Amino acid sequence: MSKTTDIQAKTRQLLNSGQVSCVIGYEVGPRGRTRPAFIYQPDDAERMVWNRSCTHNLVPYVSEKLQSIEKNIPAGETETAQQQVAVVVKPCDSRAINVLLAEKQFSRDQVYVIGVACEGIVEGAGFGREDNGNLQARCQRCSEREPVVYDMLIGEPQKVEAVDDYSDLDRLTDLTPDERVEFWLSQFDRCIRCYACRQVCPMCNCPTCLYERDDSLWVGMGIRLNEKRTFHLGRAYHLAGRCVGCNECERVCPMKIPISLLNRMLEREVEAAFGHRAGVAAVPSPLVTILDSEDGISWTS
Amino acid sequence: MSGSHGDDVGNVGGLKGFEPKILGFLCSWCSYTGADLAGTNRLKVPSNMRAIRVPCSGRVAPELIMRAFDQGADGVLVLGCHLGECHYDNGNHRTAKRMPVLHSLLTFVGLEPERLRLDWVSASEGERFSKIVEEFTESIRLLGPCQWRSKALQWEAENTRDGSVEQKGGKSMPQVGR
Amino acid sequence: MDIITRDQLAALLDNLASSRTLIAPCLVEDVLLYRQVPSSAEVAWDFDLPVLSAKGALFPPTESLMTVDKVGDDGEENDVQLNLLETIFEDEQVIFGVRPCDARGFRALDALLLDTEPVDTYYARRREKTTLIGIACGQMGPSCFCTSLGGAPDDWRDVDLMLTEIEDVYAVKVVTEKGRALLGDLSLRELPGEPAEPVLNDPLPVPSDEAWTSQFDDGFWDNLAERCLSCRICAYVCPVCRCFDVRDELVPATTFCYDHYERIRCWDSCTGVNYRKIAGGHNPRSEKGQRLRNRFNCKFYYYPQQYGVIACTGCGRCIDACPVNIDITEVMEHLVITQEGASK
Repeated sequence: MSKTTDIQAKTRQLLNSGQVSCVIGYEVGPRGRTRPAFIYQPDDAERMVWNRSCTHNLVPYVSEKLQSIEKNIPAGETETAQQQVAVVVKPCDSRAINVLLAEKQFSRDQVYVIGVACEGIVEGAGFGREDNGNLQARCQRCSEREPVVYDMLIGEPQKVEAVDDYSDLDRLTDLTPDERVEFWLSQFDRCIRCYACRQVCPMCNCPTCLYERDDSLWVGMGIRLNEKRTFHLGRAYHLAGRCVGCNECERVCPMKIPISLLNRMLEREVEAAFGHRAGVAAVPSPLVTILDSEDGISWTS
Repeated sequence: MSGSHGDDVGNVGGLKGFEPKILGFLCSWCSYTGADLAGTNRLKVPSNMRAIRVPCSGRVAPELIMRAFDQGADGVLVLGCHLGECHYDNGNHRTAKRMPVLHSLLTFVGLEPERLRLDWVSASEGERFSKIVEEFTESIRLLGPCQWRSKALQWEAENTRDGSVEQKGGKSMPQVGR
Repeated sequence: MDIITRDQLAALLDNLASSRTLIAPCLVEDVLLYRQVPSSAEVAWDFDLPVLSAKGALFPPTESLMTVDKVGDDGEENDVQLNLLETIFEDEQVIFGVRPCDARGFRALDALLLDTEPVDTYYARRREKTTLIGIACGQMGPSCFCTSLGGAPDDWRDVDLMLTEIEDVYAVKVVTEKGRALLGDLSLRELPGEPAEPVLNDPLPVPSDEAWTSQFDDGFWDNLAERCLSCRICAYVCPVCRCFDVRDELVPATTFCYDHYERIRCWDSCTGVNYRKIAGGHNPRSEKGQRLRNRFNCKFYYYPQQYGVIACTGCGRCIDACPVNIDITEVMEHLVITQEGASK
């Protein structure tokens, strides 16, 4: 029994029993690229796969699906309302579920979590460019091979000797402020404000993004350097304490901008100051709660 | 009082005559009242700081601060109530946690750390208010004009080269009277 | 055929770069893009297809349309004037390395922006001042389908000068007078024969108008769109997509002063959630399925109906760049197959 057949069997069973109305997982498209799949009929369960290209974080689709179901339920139809949505998640993705639960985006009983003991995803995944077989950077430093929340576990979690020393941030440590400005300007220069990074993120779920307001209140509309930089910095800040490091934002960027550096720097800060790691438990980010005596922040006077 | 465009291009740090443009976010109940007290006591406060009154320092969001730097501010000062004295009980707790995180982000991307400062001023601390603003203004004066925005404009003009930055000029349309 | 060597070409480009704006494929921190280059040294000679199309040279991501300056003293009401200054593009520019699909994209854009009133004067000025040096493709890439839409990897019709790589030299075909003028008095070697035929992909069936209209309400669109992220990658990489937003904003260099505004336009995309939102808050395309349906209908049905050309050149960029593998060729295939099934 492989992970694929296990997932297929579970999908079939969940749909047959009527426990869920939809299973969100992965399939392989006609060009051989792995992509998200939405299965509604038990017979379609055979489309589901698990492979080393299952890079997408499917959690954004969960919120979307639940909201859409709620919007479209005919009046009085309580049975549909009680159906869950099932989703296949990797350990990093599963932490996103916890973050959204803490933020009350949906409730635990609305989701059936099929957690996969992930063995790492390869570079080029999702774009059909998996030729070299190297693991993605986020997977190389990941030691969490078991999802933090699940209703069913697929596969045996491995013990992995991986350490995240945030060495990717080293390239900036020794730079002067001027050099840092130059570095980031040269990175954001390529940005085209396609917003793919924002759209793919489970935690970016504001109905209208602050940086896309019709009144250009916080940032101009132009695809210009200052605006682009402000968008990325603002978004990174809004994710502080919430980002789970799935790195999908960086993967989907058509311009290869190293956005993860921002998120990871803040991840390290928040963990150092508050001992908080996003999504390990379903608790809110420390940036929205009141001070705790254990907080390592000393701006008091 | 209105600035002229292009005035942040060409100035060098510490140059005589450089007057920093400082934006101060003052919470209504404590620091703004403290500022008021400084005023009624005729204490000297540099006029470089433009005050923005907010109900609570907890309202000061990163987008406000980044907008300030984007629009050419040389320094941003956030003044709230001392911890334990917030009119809304714990609004300043959020400030206490968020400002350092924002600060580390902005420092990471090259803003000089001295340009953003968080401090606590109560309604009765007129002198303290005056002292903080004086100190902050001086430190920004020494640092010189903030290059946050001008660097981006300059970099874009020199490097972006995708047609988005182009020369202006051309025919003037008929003048429209007010 | 006339031959130009790589060195001759580099010298020619250097010459052009000295007197006008030279835009060419180059590596910008590891990403292949069309950007202005100061000399031929920055050109990425062995390039396949830059991530973004060359449309940015005629329709840049952000463009200032005019500036509005308030002059005079507020104190004296009669003394205040508003100065409106239209931005006029005056550079001459040459785009080197335009693939036939991108060149065809310009032709598709012309149908709307030049050939239909009112003329887009900003696009028109740039178009007039731009010369295109095309480079033919030796073979079609895995995502390419230009031949299915009336194009070809060696189609020279929409450029001013067409180059075809033959080992380490290029065959030159002068297409227009503008192209001839570029060459100046450069003497080209003559070789017998013609460039080899490019290697083609199997053509794909293109849905008929009837397929588009009859399947408008099909559940296919919602199913397709479920994985769509509603980002804008597909529209921004496309050589033909041209929707834009217009705003009046403060001129960037002003500080705490509200006397200098500019009207800018910049790229926008119908795939964005709020693209079609109107005053009052109603959003006719609030669902992803509606947006994707619109996107593909616009390309293959609405645009040709109104302007006579298909708004797709088969470059395949959207296929390569979409993070969730939304594939325009899958859409085409589905519509064709469903139509065939329905008509049986």
